[in-house]
Parts: sequence; C-alpha cells; structure tokens
Amino acid sequence: MAQPRISAYLPPDIDPTKAPLAFGRRALPKLNEELQSPELLTQQRALMALCDLVHDPEKVYQAIALGFLDSLKTLLVHQDQTVRQKTTEVLSIMALHSIGRQGLIRSGVISALAGLLDDPVDICRKNTHQTFDLLAKLPEGAGGVLQAGLIPPLVLKLKTELDEIQELILDSLSNCLRVEVSEALAAGAVSVLKEKLSHPSTAIRSKAAWVLLEISSHAEGKIVVCKEEVIPELVSLLEDTQPEVPVNTAGVLMFAIITPQGRSSAMGAEAVPPLLQLVAEETSKARLNAIKTLTLLAELPEGRRTLLDHRDTFVRCLDDPSEAVQRAADIAIAVIDWKP
Amino acid sequence: PSTHEVKRQRRAQKQVLARKPLEEQIRSEALKPVEGREHVSVQTELYLEEISDRIIEVDGECQTDEFLDRPPTPLFIPAKTGRDVATQIEEGELFDFDIEVKPMLEVLVGKTVEQALLEVMEEEELAQLWSHQRAFTELRNAEFAELQRLEEQDRRIREEKERRRLEHLEKLRKQKETAEKIAARAFAQRYLADLIPSVFNNLHDSGFFYDPIERDIETEFLPWLMSEVEETLQKKVLGRTMLDSLIRTVVEKRLDEFSHPPPSDQTEAPAEEPRATDAAPQVSGEADAADQPVTEE
Repeated sequence: MAQPRISAYLPPDIDPTKAPLAFGRRALPKLNEELQSPELLTQQRALMALCDLVHDPEKVYQAIALGFLDSLKTLLVHQDQTVRQKTTEVLSIMALHSIGRQGLIRSGVISALAGLLDDPVDICRKNTHQTFDLLAKLPEGAGGVLQAGLIPPLVLKLKTELDEIQELILDSLSNCLRVEVSEALAAGAVSVLKEKLSHPSTAIRSKAAWVLLEISSHAEGKIVVCKEEVIPELVSLLEDTQPEVPVNTAGVLMFAIITPQGRSSAMGAEAVPPLLQLVAEETSKARLNAIKTLTLLAELPEGRRTLLDHRDTFVRCLDDPSEAVQRAADIAIAVIDWKP
Repeated sequence: PSTHEVKRQRRAQKQVLARKPLEEQIRSEALKPVEGREHVSVQTELYLEEISDRIIEVDGECQTDEFLDRPPTPLFIPAKTGRDVATQIEEGELFDFDIEVKPMLEVLVGKTVEQALLEVMEEEELAQLWSHQRAFTELRNAEFAELQRLEEQDRRIREEKERRRLEHLEKLRKQKETAEKIAARAFAQRYLADLIPSVFNNLHDSGFFYDPIERDIETEFLPWLMSEVEETLQKKVLGRTMLDSLIRTVVEKRLDEFSHPPPSDQTEAPAEEPRATDAAPQVSGEADAADQPVTEE
C-alpha cells in the first residue's frame, strides 16, 4: 500500500515537547502569540522552541524588537515551575549576547527577576543568578543591579544558597562592587566573605577573595577590611595549594594594605615570607600582585630591611615575559633601594 | 517412584474413595428395606471372585518415542492463479542511491556540524572574552593598586610636609614672640630703672614716707599739747578776766565809796584808780609776761 508516511516511526528530530516553528520571519511572531495563550501546554512548547532559537544572535535581536521581553516578564511569575524555569533559561541565554544584555537592561528585567530570588526551584534560581552575573559584567548592568537594590538580598543569599549558586552570586557581586561599595558594607558583606574564605571549595574561596579585592579597591572598603581583621586570614590563605586562591588573595592584600593600619597588621601577620615565595615561582600568576604587595610593604622601615636581603628575587623578576611584571619589579627595586 | 506406580496408586486411591460412600450408605441404615424384602448383598460378577481389598490389576505400558523435532513444513507452492504481467526497469530509470543521497546527506551532516560549530564557537568566544577580560582586570587592578599606593605615598608626604611647615611656622612665631618679649623687658627695665628713684623721691617729697612715731607725735601729741596749752591759757585768761572783773568791782566799789567821801580823795582816788587800773593791767601784763616765758619753757 502506498502511504505518504514512509515508515511507522516518526522522524527522529521531531521533539513533541517543542512547538513547531513557522517558516522564516513568521517564526518569532507566532511564538510570541503562543506565549500569550491561556493554555499551559502551548506556553511550555513555545518556550522550549524559544530556548533553542535564542542561541542565534539575529533571533535575539528580532525577539527584542518584537517585544518578547514583556511577555517573558509576565511569564516570570507563572505558577508552573517549568514555565518559570524555561523563561529564566531564555533570559540567561539572551544575556549571553550583547544586544540581549542591552535589551534586558533597558526593559527593566532586573527588577522583575529580583522577585525570583526566593523561588523554591533550584534551576530557576540558578538561571536568575546566571542572568545577573552576565548582566553585571556590563557597567550599565552593574548600575542597574545596584539601582534595583539587589545587593543586600544577594549578600544575605550568600549565607544560605547552594555552592554553585554561591559562585554565581560572588561573580555578580564582584562586578557590581567595582562600581559602588557602600550598600554592601552596610549589609555586612565583609564578615560574610570572611567566612567564605575558609570554605572547602576552591572556586568559592578564590571568588570570595576576588570580591574582597573589589571591595578593598574603594577607600571605605579598605577601612572596613582592616577593621574586621580579615588580613591575618588572608595571609594564611596565601599558602593555599590551589593556584587561583593566592592570586586573588595577593590582590586583596595589594589594595588593603595601602592604608597604614592595613600595612602594620600585614607586617604583624608576617605576610612577607609567603609573598616572597609567590614571587619566586616563575610561572605563578600571582607574581604581579605579590610584587605590588611587597612594594607596599617595602615602604615600611622594617619591611625594607627584610626585603633588602631578598633583592635579587626581584631582579630575577625583571626577566619575566609579561611587561607588567617587569614594570612592577622595577618599581619594587626602586622602593627597596630608597634611602630617606 | 516411576510413573507406573504412581498411576497405579492413584487409581487405587480413586477406587477406594469411590467405594466408600456406598459402603457407608449401606451401613448407615438410611436405606431401609421395603416391607417383605430384605437387603442382601449379592455378588453380581460373572465369575465369583474373592472380595478382597486388592483389586485385580493389570499393568499395561505405553511409551512415546523420543521427542523428535517437528519436521519442516513441506514447501507449499500454491497453484498459480491470475494473469502474468511483467515490468521491466530500464537502465537509468532507477536512481543511483549514492548520487541521490549525497545532497541530502550533505545537508544533514552540514546542519549538524554547523550547529555543533556554532555551539562550540559560542563557548569558545565566551571563554576568550572572559580570559581577555580577566587579563585586563588583573592589569587594571595592578595599575589601580599602584595608583593608590602612589596616592597614599603622596598624601603621606604632603601631610608630613604640611606638618613640618606648620611646626616651622610655629617655631618662628614663638621665636619672634620671645625676642619681642625680651626687647620689651629690656626696654621696660631700663625705663623703670629711673622710675623708682624718682617715684620714691616724689613720694618722699609729698610726705608719703613718714616716720610713724613722728607722725604719731605730730598728729596726736601736738594737738593734744596745743589743746592743753590752749586750755591752760584760757584758764589764765579766765583768771585774768576774773581778776579784772574783781579789780573792776573793787574799784567800782571804791569809787562808790570814794564818791561819797571828800573830794580830795576823789581826785586822788581817780588818780589812784587810773594808776591802779593802769597798774592792774600792767601788773596783769607783767604777770602775763612772767607767765608766758614760764609756759614757753
């Protein structure tokens, strides 16, 4: 018997969970209408199809031009968890593209996403935080996150969330705090981060150190860091075995000991030997930060005395391929050799 | 136990079971003989036989052959019916699968590979961007830290300079003040050196420095003395006045007395009286003069 169907099996790439796409330019408008339909299954299938389409930057552009973001914003507060999960996934993939990021910031999705911070489903929260993280990498995005007043809730969430999500939160915090730090200090971020410094996971330790670095690059941040006595803990972290952790720790110290109190507490915590070790390793990424930190310590008389003995370590750094390291080594030698 | 014996035992059991109810029935007397009749058990077998429990058995066996495979069905060729029709596929009418499938395969594989490449590129692009950004942030942080260090150094130096400058100013000011004070003191000393003697002289001249005893004498003793002297003199004067009055009264009396007496006494009497009155004041004057040197001594 001749039938139009060649075999009894359905073709292998038809996914029954996805809505069928209309041809060409009509695909996205049709999906938009399906998203607004009252029936749950239609919405879910449209979202699944949208997730796949959104990997293409041109589709992202078209979607934003068609006003998808408003319908997505309404779907963020849907009761069904699949809908919420897929919506957040779509938003996080959109945030991977620059057009998507700008569109998201302009249409105020950040404040809409703020309501999802307490969502019971893990994946929704993870996608939300991923979106924040990607948005915060832009300066306008970081400004948007700050304006939405999200920093205190994020700091609070650090204490309670899962590890993966904590990493994302730390990333977004680090980018936001580069801009402004007062809100986070008011929410007690430094003490929370101090606890995270002793977390078993390497990624969390290094990211917590990175956030502390951004905090201490501001003047008021430095004061709080010195007051909360984070410096001794940081010095003990300098000897951590994982390579990423000392890089960021040296960076934090680099900023934090600019203040006189920081410098004296660092000398008191005997930061010099581990830093010298970091400088001596040829391939360490922490070299640059360690050299800068030692430069700061060399401005103290007792630091200078100790470092005069290790002057040739710095001379060896002059051969480093990276130009920044060479410059830093030059400055360090100049400071060590300075006589009052 | 072989199948024979099992079957035999079963048969025996069945027959025993089948017999039981009948015998029980007979024994139970539920079946009562009809009147005039009697139940008698009669052997109805053809041949009399011994009634025993043991039944005559005959064994018989039968055995199937070993299981043989079902023989293959014989080929059934149905009788030919219908009409014979033939088709012939010419050369070139059939499609060549390899050639035809190529474009489809290309599309399929191409799409898959393209999709895979897109995803990999996306990830790679992202990874590149992040690493680029990370390198940039490290550099930026290092430079920023350097900037802050220099700022801090600069601030310290400026503060130090400011402090020293203020100290220096303070020092100068104090020096100036001290010099002025010294000059002022020297001048004042010199000025005042003459002052004291002159002041003292003035005061001495205006009588501020007095000997207390002298003063005492002057202020108290002498007035008292003068008053006493005055008193004494007044007493003297009083005495003299009294004397005068006495003399006057005496003289008047005498006058009166002598006015009545002869006129010769009158002329003598007035001549005496003036002489007496002259003599009286003279006497009093002389007495006064004699008194005064006495008092002045």
